[in-house]
Amino acid sequence: MTEFPPAGFVPTPSAIPGIEVYMPAPVEATAQPEVAEFKCPQCQATTAYSVSDGGLRCSHCGYYEPPPKSIVGKGAEEFEFTVATMEVAAARGWGEARKEIACQNCSARTTLPAGELTHTCPFCGSNRVVQQDAPQDNLRPRFLIPFQITDAVCTQYVRAWLGSSWMTPKSLRDLASMARFSAIYVPFWTLDALTEADWKAEVGHQKTESYRDSKGNRHTRTVTVWRWESGHAQRVFDDLLVSGTTRLSNVLLKRLKDYRTAQLTPYDPKYLAGLMAQAYDVPLQAAWAAGREEMRAQTRETCRGQASTSQIRNFSMSLNFQDESWRYILAPLYVSTYKYEDATYQVMVNGQTGTVAGQRPVDWPKVWLAIAAMVAPGVLLGLLGLLLLVGVPPAGPIVLIVALVALVAGGAFAVGTYGKAKEMGDV
Amino acid sequence: MSDSTVPQESNPPAPSAWGVALESVRCPHCDWRYFAPPDKADIRCPHCFQADLTPLGEAAAQLPYRLPPEQWLPFAVDAATLNLSVETFAGGIPYAPRDLNGDALRARVQPLYLPLWLVDGNVTAEWSAEVGFNYQVVSHRERYADGGGWRTEEIHKDQVRWESRVGRLERHYDNVVAPALEDHPALERALGTYPLTNVRPYAANALSDALVRLPDRAPSAAWPDATPNFQAAAAEECRQAAQSDHIQKFRWSPKYTQTNWTLLLLPVYASYYLDDESAPQPVLINGLTGKITGARRASMQRAQRAALITAIVAVVLFALGLLLGILGIAAPPLLVFGILLAIVAFGGGAVGALLPIVRASRFNRKQEVEGR
Repeated sequence: MTEFPPAGFVPTPSAIPGIEVYMPAPVEATAQPEVAEFKCPQCQATTAYSVSDGGLRCSHCGYYEPPPKSIVGKGAEEFEFTVATMEVAAARGWGEARKEIACQNCSARTTLPAGELTHTCPFCGSNRVVQQDAPQDNLRPRFLIPFQITDAVCTQYVRAWLGSSWMTPKSLRDLASMARFSAIYVPFWTLDALTEADWKAEVGHQKTESYRDSKGNRHTRTVTVWRWESGHAQRVFDDLLVSGTTRLSNVLLKRLKDYRTAQLTPYDPKYLAGLMAQAYDVPLQAAWAAGREEMRAQTRETCRGQASTSQIRNFSMSLNFQDESWRYILAPLYVSTYKYEDATYQVMVNGQTGTVAGQRPVDWPKVWLAIAAMVAPGVLLGLLGLLLLVGVPPAGPIVLIVALVALVAGGAFAVGTYGKAKEMGDV
Repeated sequence: MSDSTVPQESNPPAPSAWGVALESVRCPHCDWRYFAPPDKADIRCPHCFQADLTPLGEAAAQLPYRLPPEQWLPFAVDAATLNLSVETFAGGIPYAPRDLNGDALRARVQPLYLPLWLVDGNVTAEWSAEVGFNYQVVSHRERYADGGGWRTEEIHKDQVRWESRVGRLERHYDNVVAPALEDHPALERALGTYPLTNVRPYAANALSDALVRLPDRAPSAAWPDATPNFQAAAAEECRQAAQSDHIQKFRWSPKYTQTNWTLLLLPVYASYYLDDESAPQPVLINGLTGKITGARRASMQRAQRAALITAIVAVVLFALGLLLGILGIAAPPLLVFGILLAIVAFGGGAVGALLPIVRASRFNRKQEVEGR
């Protein structure tokens, strides 16, 4: 060793005299003020994160500060479910306490609602990011996905989305009056795990056999033969996203989970300046329970998929989770409402990918007409078949069979259409 | 004793420094060298038992080390354990040599001490390592059954978090061991390791009537074997210093000063039995644990003798069978007995005569394989 101690090592207590111990210097947690304020160094006006520029921008003098940190993507540090972390997370989450903050610009005092990470002073418009103490450092948001589409682009996406379904009123796209989009960082937990499962089930195999009836006539029939099968399945889950908030529609958030974690960036309050951000209110344990439920359901489907047929009974499996880890991240989301014929509808846009989810009014007469059209062929053919049974007996049964098939197919389409229409209004 | 920065050979004084009268002797057959009490200076070599010990005379001055030991391990194996070891060793051998029995082995037991180097030294070094800290993670095991739903079991798994550490060390280490005999590794494999928890400072009355084998490795030759033990001791201390649970990839650049070489005596019982050719076969017993080692061989002579007796009996019976056969010409019922007896004698004789030789050979071959 030439240089001692090597660069980046600091002394640490030694339990034995005569032995010096040095450890790698802990990563400097940049001393963050509890409340970070953003002011232009040139004109002292308020700066905010500009999605289009990808950095801090002063709206007054045009000063620009580029984004502070580079993308780490899937290499972003993950944390294990250590006993210590779980105990702390169970004891108290982060962002529970309400904060009263004083604006350093105009001295106005504002009470910040629980779970809000950012604040814009309603009196002077200055932007602040609250960096509350977390009981454990890794329970702070350590990574985020920056906004990548602007609210103007969002409006275009939503307009296109409003006109994309035949079930909505024709005038929706043109007459909907859009409210302004609010950019908000929402909390997500990313979960990783490897699942290994052993399964066992009775699997049914169809077999055609012939038999003779009591009069000695030969017939064939299909019987199910059940055989035991077993197998082993393994699944890797990488960055399964579980929402960390209960304050936004979970139904809509689930449709927007196509976030690409390859764009993860180390957390910096500058990304939040002038935008809204929420801390998690779904604790780690609850998120992990939800994540596990999804993982085991998918693993179960993988196991069932290994069976030689889809006819399965007495299915059982044992499943082990391994290499479980998690991250707490913030993901970009645009939230807005629009009005149509005096009703207000909620809409959200993934701030990274532009995926849109929301409520849409359903043109029910149109939907019912479509459902009627789907069922009509079967009904009409059925009636025709009945008439033919009387008039042209040999053709009647054939038409009736065709009618039955058409009715079943039409009914299935009708149910699907109805479900889709109902889903449009769900939040 | 020698104090120096580099291990040095000692300048041996007379064995009287041991506090008891001892003579330097050697075995002309196996060249093991001993300090022996004067009344045992001409006994048979307790290693090979092939020749009587002879005085070294002036050659004793050329021995690499003759200083009295710093520590010794007293014999601790009790009579019951010793008996059990000996009986177990002598038992279970098909056609064992007549001389291989518990009584003979016990009667010939000779106490003996084997030397082991103890090195003291000051070490200064810079070191680096990965230290591991235990922690637990929460995981889950789940079971599913149709109709029963999911059953979840929370489990805790042990994990080790590895972190790098560097440091400096300035420590004194006492009694780091190094082999003092060229055949120490082989002896250790045969006799097992000696737990060093009960070592005692050497006293003149420690030896009693035991012989002490003299080192045949000088400290300078043993030094390369001592340094890994210094490193192991340092690694363990660095682990404790870093307050960690594990240590791996320990590297250091040591500088040794004030090294001091002494001996530790390890107790062993030596005995022997005579094989087929009346050649002594040595047997060694760990004086602490009772673990016994030596060549266990079936006597091929005894096996051959048993085979011969079986064959003779078979031939006699076969001949008797033939005789009955001849008599059967006059008295037909005897013909049947005669044929049966001849067949049994032929088959039984062939198998019975081969069996002792096969058993003894197989046992000896197995012992040879295990002894390698």
